[in-house]
Amino acid sequence: MADPGEVDAGARHSPAPTGQGFGRFLVAVYGIFALAATSRSAVQLSTEFNKAPLAYVLSAFAAIVYIVATISLARGGATSRRLATVAISIELVGVLIVGAMSVLSPSVFQHPTVWTGFGSGYGFVPLVLPFVGLWWLRHTR
Amino acid sequence: MTGIYATVITVVALLFAGWALISAAMNRRPTLLLFAAAVLLELLLLVFAVGGIVQMAGSSRQFARAEFVGYLLGCLAIPPLAFYWARGERSRSGTLVIALAFLITPVMVLRVQQVWAGIGG
Repeated sequence: MADPGEVDAGARHSPAPTGQGFGRFLVAVYGIFALAATSRSAVQLSTEFNKAPLAYVLSAFAAIVYIVATISLARGGATSRRLATVAISIELVGVLIVGAMSVLSPSVFQHPTVWTGFGSGYGFVPLVLPFVGLWWLRHTR
Repeated sequence: MTGIYATVITVVALLFAGWALISAAMNRRPTLLLFAAAVLLELLLLVFAVGGIVQMAGSSRQFARAEFVGYLLGCLAIPPLAFYWARGERSRSGTLVIALAFLITPVMVLRVQQVWAGIGG
């Protein structure tokens, strides 16, 4: 993680807040996905869980990941920053694996999640978002 | 669910969104007027939610009622959250946050109507 080339003139500056400037906008986008994934999974789990348990558990998992990413990016600080890095990394792996699986074996993913088809139901924003999130965490370090 | 009022909200929200996006493109931080627009949209949504719940109570039709109320409340939550989060941001990002709220509102209103019509999602 630590890149010795990036130490500027030996000044050990504290990291910039992740929830300001562009981060303000990024947190809002994460918040929308937290809200969308949570409401979708709440409906799925409460009304039709038996139809597709795997897809619906994945939806709920994605919702939790988005909630953690939103809150930790908004808060900033050392611990939140670490938490955000973990959550967004999981998000990246999740969207790639679920995206690939839904393309390779569509029968398993007939019931959509946020990450199905690499987030094609949401304009592929779920695919782009983790890259932007990780870039932003690096950028503000 | 009366379509005309939903259409009015959609058009107003999209006009506000266009305005917010233009001000963001012009590198403006959110103005008082933009926050006032968010308040106005919230008032429109409040009437929408009350009207929707009253109509639901007066109907004996089968549809996903919990989901319907959930989406109505979701609509109501968006402008205040955007207002709170955009406040205190001293860059165009605050303006973009408000723009996002204006863009999401028509999507939420559409979902409310779909649930009312019994279309699953």
